[in-house]
Amino acid sequence: MKNARHPLSLYIHIPFCTLKCAYCDFNSYAKLEDLIPPFVEALIAEMRLWSPVVQSRPVPTVFFGGGTPSLTPLPELARIMAALRDCFALEPEAEITLEANPGTVNRDYLRGLADLGVNRISFGVQSFDDGELKALDRIHTAADALRCYRWAREAGFQRVNLDLIYGLPFDSPSASRRAAQGERVMMERWQATLEQAIALGPEHLSLYALTVEEGTKLAHDIERGRAPAPDGDLQAAMYEWSGERLARAGYRQYEISNWCRPGEECRHNLVYWRNGQWLGLGPGAHSHLGRKEEGGRGKEGVTYRFADVYSPRQYIERVRETAAAGIDAGGAAPALLASMRQVTFVDPQPAELQMADTAILALRLNEGLSVDAFARRFGRSPDDVYGAVFAEMTALGLLERAGGHPDGCSGERIRLTDRGRYLANEVFVRLLPDQPL
Amino acid sequence: MDRSRIRNFSIIAHIDHGKSTLADRLLELTGTIPARQMAEQVLDTMDLERERGITIKAAAVRMEWAPRPRPSPEEEGRGKEEGEAARETPLLPSSSSLLPGGEAGGGGATYELNLIDTPGHVDFTYEVSRALAACEGALLVVDASQGIEAQTLANVYMALDLDLTIIPVVNKIDLPSAEPERVAQEMVDVIGFKRDEVLFVSAKEGTGVEALLAAIVQRVPPPSGDPEAPLRALIFDSKYDSYKGVIAYVRVVDGEVRAGRRLRLMQTARTVEPLETGVFRPSFAPTDGLAAGEVGYIATGLKTVRDCRVGDTVTDEARPAPAPLPGYKPAKSMVFAGLYPANSEDYELLRDALEKLHLNDASLNYEPESSVALGPGFRAGFLGLLHMDIVQERLEREYGLDLLATAPSVEYHITLTDGSEVAIASPADMPEPTRIAGIGEPWMNVSIVAPDRHIGNIMELVTGRRGEYTKMDYLEHDPHLKAGERRVLLEYKMPLSEMLVDFYDQLKGRTQGYASMDYSFSHYSPEDLVKVDILVNGVPVDALSMLVHGERAQQQGRALVERLRSLIPRQLFEIPIQAAIGGRIIARESVRALRKNVLAKCYGGDVTRKRKLLEKQKAGKKRMKRVGNVEIPQEAFMSLLRIGK
Repeated sequence: MKNARHPLSLYIHIPFCTLKCAYCDFNSYAKLEDLIPPFVEALIAEMRLWSPVVQSRPVPTVFFGGGTPSLTPLPELARIMAALRDCFALEPEAEITLEANPGTVNRDYLRGLADLGVNRISFGVQSFDDGELKALDRIHTAADALRCYRWAREAGFQRVNLDLIYGLPFDSPSASRRAAQGERVMMERWQATLEQAIALGPEHLSLYALTVEEGTKLAHDIERGRAPAPDGDLQAAMYEWSGERLARAGYRQYEISNWCRPGEECRHNLVYWRNGQWLGLGPGAHSHLGRKEEGGRGKEGVTYRFADVYSPRQYIERVRETAAAGIDAGGAAPALLASMRQVTFVDPQPAELQMADTAILALRLNEGLSVDAFARRFGRSPDDVYGAVFAEMTALGLLERAGGHPDGCSGERIRLTDRGRYLANEVFVRLLPDQPL
Repeated sequence: MDRSRIRNFSIIAHIDHGKSTLADRLLELTGTIPARQMAEQVLDTMDLERERGITIKAAAVRMEWAPRPRPSPEEEGRGKEEGEAARETPLLPSSSSLLPGGEAGGGGATYELNLIDTPGHVDFTYEVSRALAACEGALLVVDASQGIEAQTLANVYMALDLDLTIIPVVNKIDLPSAEPERVAQEMVDVIGFKRDEVLFVSAKEGTGVEALLAAIVQRVPPPSGDPEAPLRALIFDSKYDSYKGVIAYVRVVDGEVRAGRRLRLMQTARTVEPLETGVFRPSFAPTDGLAAGEVGYIATGLKTVRDCRVGDTVTDEARPAPAPLPGYKPAKSMVFAGLYPANSEDYELLRDALEKLHLNDASLNYEPESSVALGPGFRAGFLGLLHMDIVQERLEREYGLDLLATAPSVEYHITLTDGSEVAIASPADMPEPTRIAGIGEPWMNVSIVAPDRHIGNIMELVTGRRGEYTKMDYLEHDPHLKAGERRVLLEYKMPLSEMLVDFYDQLKGRTQGYASMDYSFSHYSPEDLVKVDILVNGVPVDALSMLVHGERAQQQGRALVERLRSLIPRQLFEIPIQAAIGGRIIARESVRALRKNVLAKCYGGDVTRKRKLLEKQKAGKKRMKRVGNVEIPQEAFMSLLRIGK
């Protein structure tokens, strides 16, 4: 996994939350704050474990996600940042993003973050409607969000993202909700939220349709008839409206759920979508690593997706065990990963799967899939692999071909149409390899 | 064995009234199968039978029993423990006094008892009738807590027609809810038994079973028939064995079967050289031959049970009987359905599975059929609904097939405008409406037994399905019974097509589970029927066509398109769903185009999980049938079954 000069991003998972939100199925835990100090200890230990393996690779982006990273006290975060710089080849201009919950931060904290080198902040605002926030079990109010935003700017943050959720069905689950009137109320509420966000003028906006994930409180409530299920048609209408509104406000959509001012794309997330490589640290953090020299056929070689154990307690224990036993730093990827006891599953990615992932992830981006880049990476043209699907989906108006991209990327590209963007799964399922691998 | 010591008998019982348990007890008591080897319901060998607690294929067993001169001490002891003992005493005199005088009076004489088990469901009426025809006697077993049911009556009348001696048995007297006296009285009132003929038994606990054996010996006459006459043996069942070929289960009426003699099947005109003859203990036990009056088997060497039909007569090739035994009737399919592999690559598998099932089930008919919507498959004919259910379940369970079955249909007789007649078993095969002069459909005689408080509900159900009331009789004449508690026998005529879909469930539902039903074919009757076609996205889907009564075409067509609208998932374009008669659209709905199918977020790069979600969607698509460019889920093809009646 030593892959000199091949960039490697870092994802750091902070699994703690004050309260678990109704819709959330991320790897996060409320009431475990006591574990923060030993967790930070383990996180730093994990960095030291990986350091000899990947220290030569330049790190262009770091992303602190959660959970609620902003629950980490500044001194602990300072230790993490110091270890980061010590263990990895952080680029001088690296993008360092931290997710913050508006209910957990104050002016000093935001200043402290900026001082530590965090240069991009992402607020989980979700809504500017207090009723909706309450229904989502968020711990903050709209006023908190507005205040935080101002403090962040005062602290000098020049890159701010707001996460928003639309398509909330939290009115009473009565029949009238289905009526046009109910839909109009929900639409207006969403419009007000987005207008408020636009008025603040963040560099970046992520708009997520509320999704009912298995095992969440929301799923449970819907099952029991205590909450209505989100209405996909209404979400589609909200999405359409939002796209137009944001374009008028000068935002450019660059991914299914993401908009930004020109040049303000989240570079870290682009690594995912371009099927690049990153190392995830912390409980439940996913990684995608590999190198060309290692095994496999085709130009790309085999890469590995893997994740650390999900439970914070187990994570702390396993990292300690690994640190005590030592790792097989010089070994091939499977041996190395086997010696990392905090790693819970390893999923080798043969070329066929990498091709599908590359195509699916690239199509999420407005820039789409570059025919040349794909061919260079896998030695096969995407039309050669997916020609029939492309033709069928193009005929149905879900895909289109484009020449050069405004970004200056040259060559032919395949991308979702405006209509296709909200039906993306219909395209993606057809790109999956036939036999689940 | 001396013919005078042979007793051939069957057990007639409604489902769940304990026939199989009683058979088990008889086997145990006669030592045919030692108690420790008794698996429950020995005679029911198919898994499905054990699970459903019903007998699908008949079986036979030979038992040997020597009546004891006196009741054993434990029999007496058991009698005293039972609360019913006092009442049983006059009804169950000691075994010795039951024995026929003379030959058996000495005590130690051994009798050969042949129990011929009958299939316990209405669809297998003909098989039941042949099993009964192989006997001189029958035990009528009625549950002490349930009373006589519709099907019991049908079988009793069949046994009476065949001049069988019937021994009435009230079973399950151990149940807390048992009302043995009331049920015994019902048997007296309805069928005309004498009160003191009725035996009381708990097959589960063994109470009264010894006395029952004694009654069989005493009351059932030994076989008559002429041992010197040319051979005539009745085939009452047949079974395919992969080593011995088709095995015919026979009752020898006249003459004898000798090993090595060529035999002839009189109806199918097949000549066979038997590989082996024998009796059932209950597994096959070879013998040198079978004499008049005996029950046993002949390994025919035939390759399919179709050549060895139930009801046929076996005779000696060299010295044939002048006439076959009466009552032969080829099996006739009453209910039809298309069977398609859910995955069209499995067509060959389905064909092989049907072939194998068919080896053992002469009443299953099938022929290849091709549906525009579903691709290649088979149109299969069944004796009835249960038979269809069982075949489908066996195909899925025993052959691991994922099946798509279309809604069941009956056989229609179509008179064309040119005067010719055709029979069709699938609405899809219906000629153009302009060529049709008339359509006839099968009607059934339906009898239903239920407490009289449910009469209104039953009437409503039956007449709502074009049924016509014939008559009603009270089964119980006890004036002390409260109104609403007395059980009635209701008789109707109704079209079979109206019974195909959830009729029995509805009947059970509307009578709190109390009603029992029996039916038999009555006649074909010309009806005002029209074919309703379903078009999905403008393409007719043959597998969804249905024949309905003209008056209700509109309503049924509407119900079906509404149902389909809710079953067909939204796709990338709007899908109109129409019901049409000929070229005229009678109902229309549409499935709106899908607007959203997207994963909003891929958190922290968990691509694996995202892919799993997509895999799940992909698997869902695979389970659907593509008709034109529309994906139709399998349930849609069964939706004909669910439209409100």
